Amino acid sequence: MSPAPRVLAAAATCAVALAGCTATTTPTGTGSTIAVRSTDDACEVAPAQAPSGSIVFSVTNGGSQATEFYLYGEDGLRIVGEVEDIGPGLTRDLVVEAGPGSYVSACKPGMVGEGIRAAFTVTGSAAEPTA
Amino acid sequence: MLGNYLIGLREGLEAALVVSILVAYLVKTSRSHLLGRVWAGVGAAVLLSLGVGAALTFGTRTLTYQAQEAIGGLLSIVAVGLVTWMVFWMAGNARSLRGELHAKVDDAVDRGGWTLAVVAFLAVAREGLETALFVWSAVRSAGGGASPLLGALLGILTAVLLGWLIYRGALRLNLATFFTWTGAALIVVAAGVLSYGVHDLQEAGILPGLDALAFDVTEQVPPGSWYGTLLKGTVNFSPATTWLEVIAWVGYVVPVMWLFLRTVRRPASPADARTSAPDARTSAPAAADIRA
Repeated sequence: MSPAPRVLAAAATCAVALAGCTATTTPTGTGSTIAVRSTDDACEVAPAQAPSGSIVFSVTNGGSQATEFYLYGEDGLRIVGEVEDIGPGLTRDLVVEAGPGSYVSACKPGMVGEGIRAAFTVTGSAAEPTA
Repeated sequence: MLGNYLIGLREGLEAALVVSILVAYLVKTSRSHLLGRVWAGVGAAVLLSLGVGAALTFGTRTLTYQAQEAIGGLLSIVAVGLVTWMVFWMAGNARSLRGELHAKVDDAVDRGGWTLAVVAFLAVAREGLETALFVWSAVRSAGGGASPLLGALLGILTAVLLGWLIYRGALRLNLATFFTWTGAALIVVAAGVLSYGVHDLQEAGILPGLDALAFDVTEQVPPGSWYGTLLKGTVNFSPATTWLEVIAWVGYVVPVMWLFLRTVRRPASPADARTSAPDARTSAPAAADIRA
Protein backbone atom coordinates (compact mmCIF):
# COMPACT_ATOMS: atom_id res chain seq x y z
CA MET A 1 0.00 0.00 0.00
CA SER A 2 2.85 2.32 0.78
CA PRO A 3 4.23 2.96 -2.74
CA ALA A 4 0.83 3.94 -4.13
CA PRO A 5 0.46 7.23 -2.25
CA ARG A 6 4.00 8.22 -3.15
CA VAL A 7 3.27 7.63 -6.81
CA LEU A 8 0.12 9.69 -6.55
CA ALA A 9 1.96 12.52 -4.85
CA ALA A 10 4.69 12.49 -7.49
CA ALA A 11 2.10 12.50 -10.25
CA ALA A 12 0.40 15.47 -8.66
CA THR A 13 3.62 17.43 -8.43
CA CYS A 14 4.50 16.75 -12.05
CA ALA A 15 1.04 17.68 -13.20
CA VAL A 16 1.08 20.98 -11.38
CA ALA A 17 4.57 21.79 -12.63
CA LEU A 18 3.59 20.95 -16.20
CA ALA A 19 0.42 22.96 -15.99
CA GLY A 20 2.45 25.89 -14.79
CA CYS A 21 5.08 25.61 -17.47
CA THR A 22 2.97 25.15 -20.57
CA ALA A 23 2.25 28.80 -21.26
CA THR A 24 -0.83 28.88 -19.11
CA THR A 25 0.01 32.20 -17.59
CA THR A 26 -0.33 35.42 -19.45
CA PRO A 27 1.39 38.72 -18.77
CA THR A 28 -0.79 41.44 -17.36
CA GLY A 29 -0.38 44.81 -19.00
CA THR A 30 -0.63 43.45 -22.53
CA GLY A 31 -4.04 42.71 -23.98
CA SER A 32 -7.16 44.56 -22.97
CA THR A 33 -8.75 45.15 -19.61
CA ILE A 34 -12.50 45.25 -19.27
CA ALA A 35 -14.01 46.78 -16.15
CA VAL A 36 -17.01 44.86 -14.83
CA ARG A 37 -19.15 46.18 -12.03
CA SER A 38 -21.43 43.59 -10.47
CA THR A 39 -24.20 44.68 -8.13
CA ASP A 40 -27.29 42.98 -6.75
CA ASP A 41 -29.34 43.73 -9.83
CA ALA A 42 -26.99 44.94 -12.53
CA CYS A 43 -23.91 43.88 -14.43
CA GLU A 44 -22.04 46.68 -16.18
CA VAL A 45 -19.41 45.51 -18.64
CA ALA A 46 -17.44 48.40 -20.09
CA PRO A 47 -16.58 48.24 -22.93
CA ALA A 48 -18.65 45.34 -24.23
CA GLN A 49 -16.06 44.36 -26.77
CA ALA A 50 -12.34 43.72 -27.05
CA PRO A 51 -9.77 42.71 -29.63
CA SER A 52 -8.93 39.03 -29.77
CA GLY A 53 -6.14 37.69 -27.64
CA SER A 54 -5.65 38.07 -23.93
CA ILE A 55 -8.57 39.76 -22.18
CA VAL A 56 -8.64 40.66 -18.50
CA PHE A 57 -12.06 41.15 -16.90
CA SER A 58 -11.54 43.12 -13.73
CA VAL A 59 -14.71 42.37 -11.75
CA THR A 60 -15.67 44.61 -8.84
CA ASN A 61 -18.47 43.57 -6.52
CA GLY A 62 -20.56 46.55 -5.51
CA GLY A 63 -23.39 44.40 -4.19
CA SER A 64 -24.22 42.86 -0.84
CA GLN A 65 -23.70 39.19 -1.72
CA ALA A 66 -20.75 37.25 -3.09
CA THR A 67 -20.88 37.20 -6.88
CA GLU A 68 -19.39 35.36 -9.83
CA PHE A 69 -18.55 36.41 -13.35
CA TYR A 70 -18.77 34.06 -16.32
CA LEU A 71 -17.86 34.42 -19.97
CA TYR A 72 -19.84 31.99 -22.09
CA GLY A 73 -19.51 31.09 -25.73
CA GLU A 74 -22.09 32.20 -28.23
CA ASP A 75 -24.52 29.47 -27.17
CA GLY A 76 -24.62 30.76 -23.62
CA LEU A 77 -23.69 27.30 -22.32
CA ARG A 78 -20.01 26.68 -23.01
CA ILE A 79 -17.89 28.24 -20.27
CA VAL A 80 -14.92 30.15 -21.67
CA GLY A 81 -13.91 31.52 -18.28
CA GLU A 82 -15.26 32.15 -14.81
CA VAL A 83 -14.18 33.74 -11.59
CA GLU A 84 -16.02 32.86 -8.38
CA ASP A 85 -16.02 33.94 -4.75
CA ILE A 86 -15.91 37.65 -5.44
CA GLY A 87 -16.95 38.82 -2.00
CA PRO A 88 -18.71 42.14 -1.43
CA GLY A 89 -16.28 44.99 -1.97
CA LEU A 90 -13.62 42.86 -3.64
CA THR A 91 -12.15 43.04 -7.12
CA ARG A 92 -10.93 39.90 -8.83
CA ASP A 93 -9.63 39.28 -12.33
CA LEU A 94 -10.58 36.75 -14.93
CA VAL A 95 -8.02 36.27 -17.67
CA VAL A 96 -9.05 34.50 -20.85
CA GLU A 97 -7.56 33.89 -24.25
CA ALA A 98 -10.39 34.53 -26.69
CA GLY A 99 -10.63 34.41 -30.45
CA PRO A 100 -12.94 36.62 -32.48
CA GLY A 101 -16.64 35.98 -32.14
CA SER A 102 -19.72 36.54 -30.03
CA TYR A 103 -19.79 35.71 -26.38
CA VAL A 104 -22.13 36.12 -23.45
CA SER A 105 -21.04 37.75 -20.21
CA ALA A 106 -22.89 36.94 -17.00
CA CYS A 107 -22.75 38.23 -13.44
CA LYS A 108 -24.30 35.96 -10.83
CA PRO A 109 -24.96 37.78 -7.58
CA GLY A 110 -25.52 35.22 -4.84
CA MET A 111 -23.65 32.72 -7.04
CA VAL A 112 -26.89 31.18 -8.31
CA GLY A 113 -28.93 30.91 -11.43
CA GLU A 114 -28.48 32.10 -14.96
CA GLY A 115 -27.20 35.49 -13.93
CA ILE A 116 -27.48 38.92 -15.51
CA ARG A 117 -26.36 38.39 -19.08
CA ALA A 118 -25.26 40.56 -21.95
CA ALA A 119 -23.57 40.13 -25.29
CA PHE A 120 -19.82 40.54 -25.52
CA THR A 121 -17.95 40.78 -28.79
CA VAL A 122 -14.36 39.91 -29.54
CA THR A 123 -13.14 41.60 -32.68
CA GLY A 124 -10.23 40.86 -34.94
CA SER A 125 -9.07 38.39 -37.56
CA ALA A 126 -9.14 34.64 -37.12
CA ALA A 127 -5.36 34.28 -36.94
CA GLU A 128 -4.76 35.77 -33.53
CA PRO A 129 -1.43 35.21 -31.76
CA THR A 130 -1.50 32.87 -28.78
CA ALA A 131 0.46 33.69 -25.62
CA MET B 1 -18.60 41.60 5.72
CA LEU B 2 -20.87 38.57 6.08
CA GLY B 3 -20.39 37.60 2.45
CA ASN B 4 -16.62 37.49 2.80
CA TYR B 5 -16.86 35.77 6.18
CA LEU B 6 -18.92 32.95 4.68
CA ILE B 7 -16.48 32.49 1.81
CA GLY B 8 -13.56 32.32 4.26
CA LEU B 9 -15.48 29.84 6.42
CA ARG B 10 -16.34 27.60 3.49
CA GLU B 11 -12.84 27.60 2.07
CA GLY B 12 -11.31 26.79 5.43
CA LEU B 13 -13.76 24.10 6.50
CA GLU B 14 -12.88 21.23 4.26
CA ALA B 15 -9.18 21.43 4.96
CA ALA B 16 -9.84 21.92 8.68
CA LEU B 17 -12.06 18.83 8.74
CA VAL B 18 -9.51 16.51 7.14
CA VAL B 19 -6.59 17.85 9.18
CA SER B 20 -8.51 17.68 12.48
CA ILE B 21 -9.50 14.05 11.83
CA LEU B 22 -5.89 13.25 10.96
CA VAL B 23 -4.61 14.91 14.13
CA ALA B 24 -7.27 13.21 16.26
CA TYR B 25 -6.27 9.86 14.80
CA LEU B 26 -2.61 10.33 15.60
CA VAL B 27 -3.34 11.51 19.15
CA LYS B 28 -5.90 8.77 19.78
CA THR B 29 -3.51 6.04 18.64
CA SER B 30 -0.60 7.39 20.69
CA ARG B 31 1.32 8.54 17.64
CA SER B 32 1.66 12.17 18.63
CA HIS B 33 5.32 12.10 17.62
CA LEU B 34 4.12 12.10 14.01
CA LEU B 35 2.11 15.29 14.43
CA GLY B 36 5.08 17.37 13.36
CA ARG B 37 4.88 15.87 9.85
CA VAL B 38 1.21 16.74 9.56
CA TRP B 39 1.86 20.34 10.60
CA ALA B 40 4.77 20.47 8.18
CA GLY B 41 2.41 19.48 5.37
CA VAL B 42 -0.16 22.05 6.45
CA GLY B 43 2.45 24.79 6.84
CA ALA B 44 4.00 24.06 3.45
CA ALA B 45 0.60 24.21 1.78
CA VAL B 46 -0.32 27.50 3.47
CA LEU B 47 2.99 29.14 2.58
CA LEU B 48 2.93 27.84 -0.98
CA SER B 49 -0.66 28.96 -1.53
CA LEU B 50 -0.07 32.40 -0.06
CA GLY B 51 3.15 32.83 -2.02
CA VAL B 52 1.76 31.74 -5.38
CA GLY B 53 -1.44 33.67 -4.71
CA ALA B 54 0.49 36.85 -3.96
CA ALA B 55 2.63 36.43 -7.07
CA LEU B 56 -0.47 36.02 -9.20
CA THR B 57 -2.34 38.92 -7.57
CA PHE B 58 0.45 41.50 -7.39
CA GLY B 59 2.87 40.22 -9.99
CA THR B 60 3.16 40.56 -13.69
CA ARG B 61 1.60 37.28 -14.74
CA THR B 62 -1.75 35.70 -13.96
CA LEU B 63 -3.13 32.22 -14.43
CA THR B 64 -5.64 31.71 -17.19
CA TYR B 65 -8.99 30.20 -16.27
CA GLN B 66 -8.12 26.98 -18.08
CA ALA B 67 -4.93 26.57 -16.07
CA GLN B 68 -6.75 27.13 -12.79
CA GLU B 69 -9.37 24.54 -13.65
CA ALA B 70 -6.75 22.01 -14.71
CA ILE B 71 -4.74 22.39 -11.53
CA GLY B 72 -7.82 22.37 -9.32
CA GLY B 73 -9.33 19.33 -11.01
CA LEU B 74 -6.09 17.37 -10.90
CA LEU B 75 -5.42 18.17 -7.25
CA SER B 76 -8.97 17.15 -6.37
CA ILE B 77 -8.57 13.75 -7.98
CA VAL B 78 -5.20 13.15 -6.34
CA ALA B 79 -6.67 14.28 -3.00
CA VAL B 80 -9.48 11.74 -3.31
CA GLY B 81 -6.94 9.00 -4.02
CA LEU B 82 -4.81 9.90 -1.03
CA VAL B 83 -7.71 10.31 1.40
CA THR B 84 -9.04 6.92 0.31
CA TRP B 85 -5.64 5.40 0.94
CA MET B 86 -5.54 7.08 4.34
CA VAL B 87 -8.97 5.75 5.33
CA PHE B 88 -7.93 2.17 4.66
CA TRP B 89 -4.56 2.67 6.28
CA MET B 90 -6.35 3.90 9.40
CA ALA B 91 -8.80 1.00 9.24
CA GLY B 92 -6.04 -1.55 8.75
CA ASN B 93 -4.06 -0.19 11.65
CA ALA B 94 -7.19 -0.14 13.76
CA ARG B 95 -7.53 -3.88 13.42
CA SER B 96 -3.89 -4.42 14.31
CA LEU B 97 -4.25 -2.18 17.32
CA ARG B 98 -7.20 -4.09 18.62
CA GLY B 99 -5.03 -7.18 18.50
CA GLU B 100 -1.70 -7.11 20.25
CA LEU B 101 0.71 -6.37 17.45
CA HIS B 102 1.87 -2.96 18.55
CA ALA B 103 5.50 -3.58 17.70
CA LYS B 104 4.79 -4.52 14.08
CA VAL B 105 2.41 -1.63 13.61
CA ASP B 106 5.02 0.99 14.43
CA ASP B 107 7.02 0.16 11.30
CA ALA B 108 4.03 0.59 9.03
CA VAL B 109 3.13 3.81 10.74
CA ASP B 110 6.51 5.36 10.25
CA ARG B 111 6.47 4.42 6.58
CA GLY B 112 3.05 5.98 6.34
CA GLY B 113 4.20 9.02 8.26
CA TRP B 114 5.40 11.16 5.38
CA THR B 115 2.37 10.21 3.35
CA LEU B 116 0.32 11.72 6.15
CA ALA B 117 2.23 14.96 5.58
CA VAL B 118 1.34 14.77 1.90
CA VAL B 119 -2.33 14.14 2.68
CA ALA B 120 -2.35 17.12 5.06
CA PHE B 121 -0.55 19.18 2.42
CA LEU B 122 -3.09 18.28 -0.27
CA ALA B 123 -6.06 18.82 2.00
CA VAL B 124 -4.94 22.43 2.42
CA ALA B 125 -3.38 23.06 -0.99
CA ARG B 126 -6.37 21.79 -2.94
CA GLU B 127 -8.42 24.83 -2.14
CA GLY B 128 -5.42 26.77 -0.89
CA LEU B 129 -4.64 28.66 -4.07
CA GLU B 130 -8.26 29.69 -4.55
CA THR B 131 -8.42 30.79 -0.90
CA ALA B 132 -5.15 32.68 -1.18
CA LEU B 133 -6.34 34.53 -4.28
CA PHE B 134 -9.50 35.44 -2.41
CA VAL B 135 -7.60 36.66 0.66
CA TRP B 136 -5.07 38.65 -1.38
CA SER B 137 -7.86 40.34 -3.29
CA ALA B 138 -9.31 41.35 0.09
CA VAL B 139 -5.89 42.71 1.10
CA ARG B 140 -5.67 44.63 -2.14
CA SER B 141 -9.05 46.22 -1.56
CA ALA B 142 -8.23 47.06 2.06
CA GLY B 143 -7.46 50.62 0.98
CA GLY B 144 -11.16 51.09 0.44
CA GLY B 145 -12.14 49.49 3.73
CA ALA B 146 -10.84 46.67 5.89
CA SER B 147 -14.16 44.90 6.44
CA PRO B 148 -13.83 42.42 3.53
CA LEU B 149 -10.40 41.33 4.74
CA LEU B 150 -11.57 41.17 8.34
CA GLY B 151 -14.58 39.10 7.32
CA ALA B 152 -12.43 36.72 5.30
CA LEU B 153 -9.92 36.19 8.11
CA LEU B 154 -12.65 35.71 10.72
CA GLY B 155 -14.26 33.12 8.46
CA ILE B 156 -11.04 31.17 8.14
CA LEU B 157 -10.44 31.41 11.90
CA THR B 158 -13.96 30.07 12.52
CA ALA B 159 -13.17 27.12 10.25
CA VAL B 160 -10.03 26.41 12.28
CA LEU B 161 -12.06 26.66 15.48
CA LEU B 162 -14.67 24.24 14.15
CA GLY B 163 -11.88 21.87 13.17
CA TRP B 164 -10.52 22.06 16.70
CA LEU B 165 -13.98 21.37 18.14
CA ILE B 166 -14.34 18.33 15.89
CA TYR B 167 -10.92 17.15 17.05
CA ARG B 168 -11.94 17.47 20.70
CA GLY B 169 -15.26 15.75 20.08
CA ALA B 170 -13.64 12.90 18.18
CA LEU B 171 -11.17 12.27 21.00
CA ARG B 172 -14.05 11.58 23.39
CA LEU B 173 -15.37 8.65 21.37
CA ASN B 174 -14.34 5.18 22.35
CA LEU B 175 -11.76 3.61 20.07
CA ALA B 176 -14.06 1.45 17.96
CA THR B 177 -16.62 4.20 17.44
CA PHE B 178 -13.84 6.64 16.68
CA PHE B 179 -12.37 4.51 13.89
CA THR B 180 -15.73 3.85 12.33
CA TRP B 181 -17.00 7.40 12.39
CA THR B 182 -13.83 9.24 11.39
CA GLY B 183 -13.26 6.83 8.51
CA ALA B 184 -16.87 7.11 7.38
CA ALA B 185 -16.72 10.91 7.63
CA LEU B 186 -13.59 11.00 5.50
CA ILE B 187 -15.24 8.82 2.87
CA VAL B 188 -18.20 11.18 2.65
CA VAL B 189 -15.82 14.15 2.42
CA ALA B 190 -13.78 12.42 -0.29
CA ALA B 191 -16.96 11.67 -2.26
CA GLY B 192 -17.78 15.37 -2.10
CA VAL B 193 -14.32 16.25 -3.40
CA LEU B 194 -14.72 13.74 -6.21
CA SER B 195 -18.06 15.13 -7.34
CA TYR B 196 -16.61 18.65 -7.08
CA GLY B 197 -13.76 17.55 -9.35
CA VAL B 198 -16.29 16.10 -11.78
CA HIS B 199 -18.13 19.42 -11.79
CA ASP B 200 -14.88 21.25 -12.53
CA LEU B 201 -14.19 18.96 -15.46
CA GLN B 202 -17.74 19.53 -16.70
CA GLU B 203 -17.19 23.29 -16.54
CA ALA B 204 -13.92 22.88 -18.43
CA GLY B 205 -15.83 20.98 -21.12
CA ILE B 206 -13.85 17.79 -20.59
CA LEU B 207 -16.85 15.93 -19.19
CA PRO B 208 -20.38 16.41 -20.57
CA GLY B 209 -23.64 17.10 -18.79
CA LEU B 210 -22.98 20.46 -17.15
CA ASP B 211 -26.64 21.41 -17.53
CA ALA B 212 -28.20 18.00 -16.81
CA LEU B 213 -29.19 18.77 -13.25
CA ALA B 214 -30.26 15.94 -10.98
CA PHE B 215 -31.74 18.46 -8.58
CA ASP B 216 -31.77 22.19 -7.97
CA VAL B 217 -32.53 23.38 -4.46
CA THR B 218 -30.88 26.76 -4.70
CA GLU B 219 -34.13 28.34 -3.48
CA GLN B 220 -34.14 26.24 -0.33
CA VAL B 221 -30.38 26.18 0.23
CA PRO B 222 -28.81 29.34 -1.19
CA PRO B 223 -25.03 29.08 -1.43
CA GLY B 224 -24.72 32.41 0.34
CA SER B 225 -26.59 31.24 3.44
CA TRP B 226 -24.83 29.96 6.54
CA TYR B 227 -26.29 26.47 6.18
CA GLY B 228 -25.43 26.38 2.48
CA THR B 229 -21.92 27.44 3.42
CA LEU B 230 -21.56 24.74 6.07
CA LEU B 231 -22.88 22.05 3.74
CA LYS B 232 -20.54 23.11 0.96
CA GLY B 233 -17.55 23.42 3.23
CA THR B 234 -17.94 20.02 4.88
CA VAL B 235 -19.39 17.59 2.35
CA ASN B 236 -19.22 19.75 -0.78
CA PHE B 237 -22.98 19.79 -1.17
CA SER B 238 -23.96 21.89 -4.18
CA PRO B 239 -27.55 23.12 -4.31
CA ALA B 240 -27.56 22.50 -8.06
CA THR B 241 -26.03 19.08 -8.72
CA THR B 242 -25.63 17.39 -12.09
CA TRP B 243 -26.41 13.75 -12.79
CA LEU B 244 -22.76 12.94 -13.40
CA GLU B 245 -21.87 14.34 -9.99
CA VAL B 246 -24.52 12.18 -8.35
CA ILE B 247 -23.27 9.10 -10.20
CA ALA B 248 -19.68 9.83 -9.16
CA TRP B 249 -20.70 10.44 -5.55
CA VAL B 250 -22.80 7.30 -5.22
CA GLY B 251 -20.36 5.27 -7.31
CA TYR B 252 -17.61 6.16 -4.88
CA VAL B 253 -19.42 6.04 -1.53
CA VAL B 254 -21.21 2.72 -1.92
CA PRO B 255 -18.26 0.42 -2.71
CA VAL B 256 -15.74 2.31 -0.58
CA MET B 257 -18.02 2.56 2.45
CA TRP B 258 -18.90 -1.14 2.16
CA LEU B 259 -15.25 -2.12 1.88
CA PHE B 260 -14.29 0.15 4.75
CA LEU B 261 -16.98 -1.12 7.11
CA ARG B 262 -16.05 -4.69 6.26
CA THR B 263 -12.41 -3.93 7.06
CA VAL B 264 -13.05 -2.12 10.30
CA ARG B 265 -15.82 -4.31 11.64
CA ARG B 266 -14.18 -7.69 11.04
CA PRO B 267 -14.28 -9.29 14.48
CA ALA B 268 -10.81 -9.09 16.02
CA SER B 269 -11.48 -9.14 19.72
CA PRO B 270 -14.29 -9.26 22.31
CA ALA B 271 -13.99 -5.52 22.52
CA ASP B 272 -16.03 -5.32 19.32
CA ALA B 273 -19.08 -6.72 21.06
CA ARG B 274 -18.99 -3.88 23.53
CA THR B 275 -19.03 -1.15 20.89
CA SER B 276 -21.37 1.52 22.15
CA ALA B 277 -23.95 3.16 19.90
CA PRO B 278 -22.57 6.25 18.22
CA ASP B 279 -23.95 9.66 19.18
CA ALA B 280 -26.24 11.36 16.71
CA ARG B 281 -24.07 13.18 14.19
CA THR B 282 -25.18 15.42 11.39
CA SER B 283 -23.55 13.47 8.56
CA ALA B 284 -24.65 9.98 9.50
CA PRO B 285 -24.01 7.52 6.68
CA ALA B 286 -26.86 5.03 6.54
CA ALA B 287 -24.46 2.16 5.87
CA ALA B 288 -22.89 2.54 9.29
CA ASP B 289 -25.70 0.45 10.75
CA ILE B 290 -24.60 -2.71 8.96
CA ARG B 291 -23.72 -5.37 11.48
CA ALA B 292 -20.39 -7.14 11.00
